[in-house]
Amino acid sequence: MRRAGSLWTSISLLPGVLLAGTVVEGRVELPPSHSPPVQAKRYEIVTRGGVLSTQPPLAVVYLDGNFPRPASLPVKQVVQKNLAFIPALLPVQVGTKVEFPNLDDTYHNIFSYSPAKRFDLGRYRPDERPVPAVVFDKPGLVTLRCDIHEHMRGLILVLNTPYFAMTDTAGRFRLEGLPAGRYTLKAWIDSKTTREKPVQLRSNQTLHVDFP
Amino acid sequence: MSLPGPMRNKGVAGFRVRLFAVMMVIVATLTTLGLYLAQRRVAADAERNLQQIFQSELASLHKLEELRHAALADRCDVLAAKPRIHAAIEDDALDLLYPSAKDELRDLMESEEPPPERPAQWLHARFYRFLDSRGRVIQPPNPRDVGELDPKSEEQLALRSLPETRQIGYLLENGGAIDELIAVPIFSTETGDIISALVVGFKPLELADKRTGMKSGIWVNGRLHLPSLSQSAQASLNKRISNAVAGGEREENNFRLQLEGAPHLVFYKRLNPQSLFPPAYEICVYPLAPWTAQLRRLQWQIASAGALLLLGGFFASHLAAVRLSAPVKKLALDSEENREKRERAEAALASTARELERSARYSADASHQLKSPVTVLRVGLESLLARDDFQPEVYEQLSALLQQTRRLTGVIDDLLLLSRMDAGHLKIESASVNLSEIVDEWLDDLSALPDSPEVAIEKQLPPALFVAGEKRYTSLIIQNLLENARKYNRPGGRIRLRARAAGSEVVLCIGNTGRAIPCGENVFERFHHSATPSAVSGHGIGLNLARELARLHGGDIRLVCSENDWTEFEVRLPAANGAAPAA
Repeated sequence: MRRAGSLWTSISLLPGVLLAGTVVEGRVELPPSHSPPVQAKRYEIVTRGGVLSTQPPLAVVYLDGNFPRPASLPVKQVVQKNLAFIPALLPVQVGTKVEFPNLDDTYHNIFSYSPAKRFDLGRYRPDERPVPAVVFDKPGLVTLRCDIHEHMRGLILVLNTPYFAMTDTAGRFRLEGLPAGRYTLKAWIDSKTTREKPVQLRSNQTLHVDFP
Repeated sequence: MSLPGPMRNKGVAGFRVRLFAVMMVIVATLTTLGLYLAQRRVAADAERNLQQIFQSELASLHKLEELRHAALADRCDVLAAKPRIHAAIEDDALDLLYPSAKDELRDLMESEEPPPERPAQWLHARFYRFLDSRGRVIQPPNPRDVGELDPKSEEQLALRSLPETRQIGYLLENGGAIDELIAVPIFSTETGDIISALVVGFKPLELADKRTGMKSGIWVNGRLHLPSLSQSAQASLNKRISNAVAGGEREENNFRLQLEGAPHLVFYKRLNPQSLFPPAYEICVYPLAPWTAQLRRLQWQIASAGALLLLGGFFASHLAAVRLSAPVKKLALDSEENREKRERAEAALASTARELERSARYSADASHQLKSPVTVLRVGLESLLARDDFQPEVYEQLSALLQQTRRLTGVIDDLLLLSRMDAGHLKIESASVNLSEIVDEWLDDLSALPDSPEVAIEKQLPPALFVAGEKRYTSLIIQNLLENARKYNRPGGRIRLRARAAGSEVVLCIGNTGRAIPCGENVFERFHHSATPSAVSGHGIGLNLARELARLHGGDIRLVCSENDWTEFEVRLPAANGAAPAA
């Protein structure tokens, strides 16, 4: 898990480091962490009253707006390891192709009935080549499930914007290389909760925004 | 003397008829009672028997249904665990719900080929539908896959809210087919919430009793499904059941009903108590014809038994009548004799009474008739005696005649008094009378009598001794006794008088010397004369009169002793109230 954490941290921070310039950083007030039962420790996505969220709570902070879509986007991965999706929550830009490699010694059947993307990859083993993949071409929240392992849940948050970042478990975030202008900064907290704040961005400035 | 023969025979025949009538009434009552009890018993037996059949049928039905429910519940649990079902419901992809469930529920639906076994058939559903979170039916994209239903019937699958437990319902389709509905909640495996419900329609299980000619059906929400009955019978039964169900809260009952011209027993029982679906009742109609036939047979048996009993009773009563009438006959004869005797005695008594009355009246008349001439005679003699121109010996004779006349007057007075007493005309004017005074007066008179012998008088009397009576008659009693004591005394003898109070009576004893009264003589008899010749004259009614008077006063006179030159009488008279001092 630690490895997985460092992996997505490096992925999300990579564009910020390259572009630098205008920065927004701050903190999102996350809901209190429910200490999950031991058996459910590996479950990253939990449903409570029909609301999906990560456990421990994490948020995705992104700059909303219409940005030109790049010709090619890097391919992302959600692996199935130890009967869980890793990462449990993946924010991607619209048009991103996501691969679902099976790292377990068993069959998985990844599917989604979510309005943003319905797909069914069918059953496949770890040695399936090419690695089954899906292009997410509509913004929205996609719930990943496995038809064989009913407890498995994953979330892919498909966003219109290339400017997004995940908070750490304390709620801290940092967005770098942002364009100047008036935008709306949004914080996705769970499937039913997204907070937003209007922001005025100036070049090479660092803005501090907190989501209470 | 006895009644004539024919009359006696008539009496005995009457007795026999009455006895027979009583027996007939008893036998008829017993027969009627037997018939009534038998009828009730047969009816109760029929009802109980049919009730048992009904219950056992329902019980076996319930067992099969349990099987079906259990199988279905298992399926629903499996379904609920399916990620695709969850995904369809939770991710708002209801259009994918039926396709996701299709594979899972494929074998639930009826297969094309006939099932190998009956129980397997029961587990095949006609249709199924899912309910959304508000209990509404989720429309299937392809109704052919999930069992087609007309829209109106489909609407009836909806519930007010998702059920927490299994719900049983019945659906009467427009085409007339009936379905059993089982709604099973689907729980989220993650949160435990009810996320949906599966409603499955089965062909209802049918009661399989073939012995009793029973017809069964189902009543749902005011409509009756019992196709084996005629339309009119269905209508009347439906009305009756609707009333019964609407009227009472009873989930189970039975009643009798005339259906298609024959009596039937109808049972109904709620099939889905406390269900969210409309109430449904199992209806069983049992023909009562076999029971009626059995009842008729039993009635014949009891009636003929009653008739036999009556016939036997007739002979028995005849015999009993003959037996019983013999003593009765004898009793009748005896009572006739008794009656004759009694009548004779009564007649004799009446004639005696009449004679007695006549004689009493006669003696009274006679005394009255005698009194006047004697008075004339005496007055005549006295006037003759008052003259002084007769020879001295004439005076002596006149004086003797006058003496006899006086005696005659006394006798007549006594007779008159006696006859009045005999006729019951004499009434005592009771008062307090001083007995001592009367005795003293009479002792004075006694000593003054000219021909009295020399006798000594001993008197032991308290100065005042009061009795209750009429002075005149009390005086007469004392006079008679004292005169006797003097009359039957011997020269130089004595008379002793003693009196004392004894409780409520006063006892006076008068004794005198002289010849004793011979044994066996009743001196109290009227006109009694001593068997032994005596110098003393008496007309023989004095003692009798005295005793009658004493008895009239409530007392008596008896001869105490008469021997050895001593005769003593005892007079008992009631003491005057409070006036008699202690002796």
